[in-house]
Amino acid sequence: MSEIINNSSWRLRMGRITAARRMTAAEKWFEIELEDGDLEHEPGQFVQVELFGVGEAPVSVCSSPTRRGRFELTVRAAGRLTTHMQTLKAGDWVGIRGPFGRPFPVKLMIGNDLLLVAGGLGIAPLRSLINYVMDNRREFGKVDILLGCKTPEDMLFGDEVKAWEKRLDVNFSCTVDRGAPDWKGNVGLITSLIPGVTIAPERTFAVVVGPPIMYKFVIAELAAKRVPERQIILSLERHMKCGMGKCGHCQIDHPKNYYCCKDGPTFTYEEVKAASRL
Amino acid sequence: MNYHILKKSGLDGFIRALARKMKVCAPVAKGYGNYAFEEVSSAKDIALSYIPTILPPKKYFMPQRERLLEFDISGEKPAELAVVDAPEMAIFGVHTCDLAGIQCLNMVFSEKPADRNYLRRNEKALIMGLECNGYCDGHASCALVGAHYPNGGYDLFFTDLGDRFIIHVNTQKGEDVAEGLKLPRATPADMAALDKVREEKRRVFQNEIGVDPALLPAIFDRGMEHKVWSELGGRCVSCGNCTNVCPTCYCFDMADTINLDMKTGHRTRTWDSCQLENFAVVAGGENFRKLRAERQRHRYYRKFKYPLEKFYRFFCTGCGRCTRTCMAKISLKETLKALAVGHGGRI
Amino acid sequence: MKKETKAAVPAKPKVAFFDLACCEGCQLQVANLGEALLDILGAIDVVEFREVMSEKWDKDYDIAIVEGSITDAHAEERIKKIRARSKILIAYGSCATIGGVNGMKNGFELDEIRRYVYGKDYKFFDSAPTRPVHQVVKVDYFVHGCPIYPPELIEVLKCALRGIPYTVPASPVCAECKLNENVCMYERGISCLGPWTKAGCNSWCVNNGNICYGCRGEVKNPALAAGADVIARYGLKAELVKNKFEMYNKCKEGDADGRR
Repeated sequence: MSEIINNSSWRLRMGRITAARRMTAAEKWFEIELEDGDLEHEPGQFVQVELFGVGEAPVSVCSSPTRRGRFELTVRAAGRLTTHMQTLKAGDWVGIRGPFGRPFPVKLMIGNDLLLVAGGLGIAPLRSLINYVMDNRREFGKVDILLGCKTPEDMLFGDEVKAWEKRLDVNFSCTVDRGAPDWKGNVGLITSLIPGVTIAPERTFAVVVGPPIMYKFVIAELAAKRVPERQIILSLERHMKCGMGKCGHCQIDHPKNYYCCKDGPTFTYEEVKAASRL
Repeated sequence: MNYHILKKSGLDGFIRALARKMKVCAPVAKGYGNYAFEEVSSAKDIALSYIPTILPPKKYFMPQRERLLEFDISGEKPAELAVVDAPEMAIFGVHTCDLAGIQCLNMVFSEKPADRNYLRRNEKALIMGLECNGYCDGHASCALVGAHYPNGGYDLFFTDLGDRFIIHVNTQKGEDVAEGLKLPRATPADMAALDKVREEKRRVFQNEIGVDPALLPAIFDRGMEHKVWSELGGRCVSCGNCTNVCPTCYCFDMADTINLDMKTGHRTRTWDSCQLENFAVVAGGENFRKLRAERQRHRYYRKFKYPLEKFYRFFCTGCGRCTRTCMAKISLKETLKALAVGHGGRI
Repeated sequence: MKKETKAAVPAKPKVAFFDLACCEGCQLQVANLGEALLDILGAIDVVEFREVMSEKWDKDYDIAIVEGSITDAHAEERIKKIRARSKILIAYGSCATIGGVNGMKNGFELDEIRRYVYGKDYKFFDSAPTRPVHQVVKVDYFVHGCPIYPPELIEVLKCALRGIPYTVPASPVCAECKLNENVCMYERGISCLGPWTKAGCNSWCVNNGNICYGCRGEVKNPALAAGADVIARYGLKAELVKNKFEMYNKCKEGDADGRR
């Protein structure tokens, strides 16, 4: 005797994969078009992707809202759903809930210098901001982009990265943990790139996205550069199951009752420094 | 504010009359000092004097397992439907601790984006409270959090006056039931008897831990590194009993099931527990609350610290279930006392 | 680096049921599935199933569903052959997944047991310490339980048909038992292995008035200190609880994370 609830927040939007491309051995890129219109997301937000009968998983949107109509996801095979998602191809349908989460504070960043730091898959959420900034380049001051990944083969968005490298209005550097014979760039941790960046701390927003282990060290470098804590923006990782601040899985052990899915995933360092873990 | 009277000898007729119209649930004895809310058809099934049930009545609004979505992938494009099973029902005999618990969950699930499944079930239920004139047992700490008196959250509220119940009517829905069954209005003498019960309760119910609840936020503010957490971690079995039985715990998990036709299926929501090993694990394998001590600490902070920020109240209603159900006998009262040592302000 | 999950099996996959050392009770559970069995038979093509048919299949299997443990050289050879012929191997029932009651034998000297069972001519009868299937060949899916809980087997089968993994719950039986609102066995003064046993059976035994015997195997990270504490608190004998646990879980000693 079930009733149908048309305004249920559990309902799904139907999305069709319009393009899919393997990026690395473990990561695949998808472009998705929603049947009911634009995703209407902001940089730094995420969606819940449903594969019918398999389940649902949170995935960061890696495209900028300035490129409307379709959105993009980069999915690493990590859990059951993201592994299965590697088999999807153009033409397949997925269910989408969202967008969810607090975006990067783009409006507050206007008129300031930006230091954008990504480690590993952190480039995916950060790319939504990088491309937003590129499309609104005039609004921001100096822009530095620092990328880090394990090996040159793990580098995501290689073509775009090359384009950023060439642009005159962006300072770009990247580093790998382990080089390859033909690798001519930096080898070492991403923290090693920060001392080389000229920073005017009062007018700089540093946006850092990467694995939890990276935050502590990058933040220490930024602190050494005297970037104010409220201008250090992080995107935290937790298991965001419902996306609506209810299921409890993504709660951060922090006195302010933060749910990563709703109060985050982006936080200022000032907000979350009291957390027992970042 | 209406008060009605129901003779105890008339309770059976009252329950039967309701049961003719809808499903009626009430506390039922399960043996070994355990009780559970179950469907009843007459008053003789009901345990009027009971220790809080194994599971709180939250199970009627947020069932242990519930279908949220149905889908069909047989066509060119997948189709889905959001569904809820929300029968008309009455819940009789809800103690004030559990009424407070329902109020907490109402706040959580009506916060936007609202959970229609929970709200729809809640809206279809007639809630009838039952006052505790004395303590159920020594594990309760309702006076600490002020949940030993009624604070709304019900349609009708029953207080035992010996040979009769005096019934407070809190909603029009409740009034319609009382009027429909032609329950007489309470007299001034009944009101005086109610006052006497409440006066007596003031003497019986006393702060159970001897710590001023106003100090608890500060105690928890400074309690993250307290040694009590590792002590609890060493005793905890991680069975999840304490959260499953808690009237204010609402964490859940979701999973898809596909039918053997491989075309149709549904998504089920199931209660989950922050005490279980994998609760805070992310896809890459990292566990944000790996230690039992961290998970126990999290449970207490979800009761006495985190909800203050958002809902201005403790999410502990003093029902004592977590202590009663714990195989390792981890006691909420003892934990709070241990945390409070050295903070002064004992009363 | 994870491999892409391939669409695992063809539209009507060839499925075979096998039994090693066991009581065949799990096959009986399958045969007794009732209406669900018809749905299953609509989705798969059963090519071997000793309990219900006599035909044999001489080609490869898409899915092999194996009951029973490995207790002699012949069984070891047989399971290796089955594995070599199967795309997917599902171990089902405690004997296959954790060794089960067959593992009790491992608590004795092998020859002592052989002599006890086969008498003076025991040397003519081959026997080896009991091993669950995964200690001999790779297992793709585990369906624990003695017997298996039929709804779980159906879930696993659906996962196998779709080529997605099935995760056995990491939580203990208590987590499901409490959802079913059973009166805790410990409150009744009876020791129950629910707190240390993997969930996934919907606390089937306790729902029906029995205790949990640990037939689904130990949870990944059992609370050992707490366990001793609980046993003492309820005035139970640790030795008795250990014996109860070893009824099904003796073979755990052969696992990488096994304890003695």
